[in-house]
Amino acid sequence: MLQRIWALPTGKIAFTILGLVLFLAVFGPWIAPQDPLAANPETLTGPSWQHWLGTDYLGRDVLSRLLDGSRTSIIGSLQVALMAMAVGVLPGILSVYLGRVFEWTALRLVDTLISLPFLVFAVAVTALLGNGITQAMLTVGVLVSPLFFRVSRAATLTVARSQYVEAALISGASFGQVVRRHVWAKVLPPIGIALAQTIGVGFVVVSSLTFLGVGVQPPAPTWGGLLASDLGYLDYQPWAPVVPALLIMGTVWGCNLMADALRDVSGRPVVERAR
Amino acid sequence: MTSTLGRRSFLGGLLAAPALGAVLAACGGSGSAASAGSATLKWASSYFPTHWDPVVGGSGAQFRHLALVYASLTRVDDAGNAVPDLAESWDYNDKGDQVTFHLREGLTFSDGTPVNAEAVKQAIERAKNQEDSALFGDLTSIEKVTTEGDLDAVVHLSQVDYQIPLLFGERVLQVASPKAAADPKALDQNPVGHGPFVVTQIIPGTKAVLEKNPDYWDAANIHIEKVELVSAPDPSTVVSGLQTGVYNFADLAPSQAKAAEGAGLDVFVQPGYNASNLSLNVNKKPFDDPKVVEAVRHAINRQEFVDKLTFGYGTIATQPFPEEYIAYDPDSADLWPYDVAKAKAALAESKYSGDDLKIDLVIPDEDASAEIVQSQLAAIGITVTIKIDKNWATPFFAKDLVTSLYGTTGRDSPLQTLTAHFGPNGPLNLSTPYEPEGFEKAVAAVRETPLEDPAYAETLQKATREGLASEALVFTFSQPNVYVKDPSISQLPKNPGHINWTGVKIS
Repeated sequence: MLQRIWALPTGKIAFTILGLVLFLAVFGPWIAPQDPLAANPETLTGPSWQHWLGTDYLGRDVLSRLLDGSRTSIIGSLQVALMAMAVGVLPGILSVYLGRVFEWTALRLVDTLISLPFLVFAVAVTALLGNGITQAMLTVGVLVSPLFFRVSRAATLTVARSQYVEAALISGASFGQVVRRHVWAKVLPPIGIALAQTIGVGFVVVSSLTFLGVGVQPPAPTWGGLLASDLGYLDYQPWAPVVPALLIMGTVWGCNLMADALRDVSGRPVVERAR
Repeated sequence: MTSTLGRRSFLGGLLAAPALGAVLAACGGSGSAASAGSATLKWASSYFPTHWDPVVGGSGAQFRHLALVYASLTRVDDAGNAVPDLAESWDYNDKGDQVTFHLREGLTFSDGTPVNAEAVKQAIERAKNQEDSALFGDLTSIEKVTTEGDLDAVVHLSQVDYQIPLLFGERVLQVASPKAAADPKALDQNPVGHGPFVVTQIIPGTKAVLEKNPDYWDAANIHIEKVELVSAPDPSTVVSGLQTGVYNFADLAPSQAKAAEGAGLDVFVQPGYNASNLSLNVNKKPFDDPKVVEAVRHAINRQEFVDKLTFGYGTIATQPFPEEYIAYDPDSADLWPYDVAKAKAALAESKYSGDDLKIDLVIPDEDASAEIVQSQLAAIGITVTIKIDKNWATPFFAKDLVTSLYGTTGRDSPLQTLTAHFGPNGPLNLSTPYEPEGFEKAVAAVRETPLEDPAYAETLQKATREGLASEALVFTFSQPNVYVKDPSISQLPKNPGHINWTGVKIS
């Protein structure tokens, strides 16, 4: 699968971008040239040999804060995607097999989740449970889970009505065996595509929430948080928002390209997002 | 497709913001005044009132907006002295425990109810007794109110207190129509007073439209016909809003002052009593050890707050009064100088170490001050975790927090400022019921000293000195009230801490 993705031009670009992002997530805090929390007397300075991207409103090295904030930004988006997958996939498959009551209940619950605006809901939940990145991201993950529910349910419905599955059931195969041998094989590729898309969505959500001051607590840096604080000092550093904005854009683009590549190699149309 | 467009829109918006700002800047300029409309004040405020009932709103920054609708018994002049408003005069009895306010004749609230002594009596009683009153703590000297005739309200005091005329200004006694106040919840949505303006529309949390009150006692000096008060958007967009004529007056973050000046707008500072502090709870560890408090006092570098947060507009604060104010105590100007070595030595002598010196600093919103406190205390070995709690007010005023930040806008009565910060039940004293020894006696002496007494200043400064012995507060810096206006608006009177529209013209 990986070789087939790499063979595609979009796959090469996606791998390159996401590889760089992964590198930043793993090594970013270590390669930061200065302590990202150390304040210097000179605030809002321009690029220099000492501070390649200048200093922020408290005199902290911006490059170091961007590198240090990579991990939090990326982990946040992964939390959203993995939570959404964990909550959505299994009920999506089970809704096909566990009867009408479960199916009806699950579908209404999904409809409810879709109707909730996730930024507003995340702000409300963090007000109740405490303002933290994990609370915010897991909440958003639950709200994004209908995407995975629908993808897995649609794929399962296709498989469940196929003749070879009916034959397997008639010949005595258990429900668990059918799911393991036949359903997973059909469900996994679209879930992979949805996962890549959701990581991109997660990035935007992490950035949006930290932009709004929800999630990550100061002074911990994130790309969205840096972008938000930069906008308050445009008259001093008009160029400052460009770098964090490009990082966010690039990563989301990489995730979308990966989703396209996965779609192309799996021969399936791209999954329409739930929201 | 939908999702892709959404992401693109979001990110495009982020990138477009600076460019858009530049375009708006280029399109603004001198034409903005014309688009502001004739004699219409378009005020974008960061403190849009959450409550329109003055009893619930309390003495915070929002009283300035409520003063558009409500008049009070007194107001303050440029020197901070109490001068007539609804009351044209007042006098104390010889003992000093009774003050009679003589009201202006023939005034009515905007609902037609007369402004009389009974209305004042009900206003004071409501502030003292209403369940959700934010003012009752300021009225502890008041025993009862009686009326003499239609226009004289007699305030009987439980102790001699010459601060009452200052207390009954805009911050504590904006007088609402008793008819409207019979239903406080309705009043909270639909204010009725005898102020310079009358509310015609309120969209909660967003916008209020007011028109000039022709029956206001000083209507001849109100030259603004209409006010559109809106909740300010992000500070970075305020200047663009003024340039394009969306607003013509706004609160301004000091970081935006340079942009506003560059755009040809009038940036000005209103005098005030603003002072920020680090609040400590000496009832909780580690601040129950005076050595830890001493360490914190010496660890705070006030100049760093000024340099990094105020963009040239602020000053250091060692007490809750500005240096030129009558209550400012010069002897207490440098009680706890910044000295990391002393701070470390004090901490070494404390009974706490290691994990005991890990504290939570709880604040309502992101605040760069918190990050400065965090780094300054880290330098002496105290680990601060910043926690943003949108419900911050509840634990703060319940005195449940270990440490927090607070910025006061001051009070017209310096004694009210002192008791609010240092008194045993002061709302800004995180360490209730703790109060510094000698403070109560010093406060009583101030109450008993007439404001015109030659000894008043000295007595007041002694009370400040006694208050500053408190281990519960470390004052940090003062960020003044910075405003920006379109040049078409004339200069505002310099009443300290207030926004007074009397005599202001919009050309």
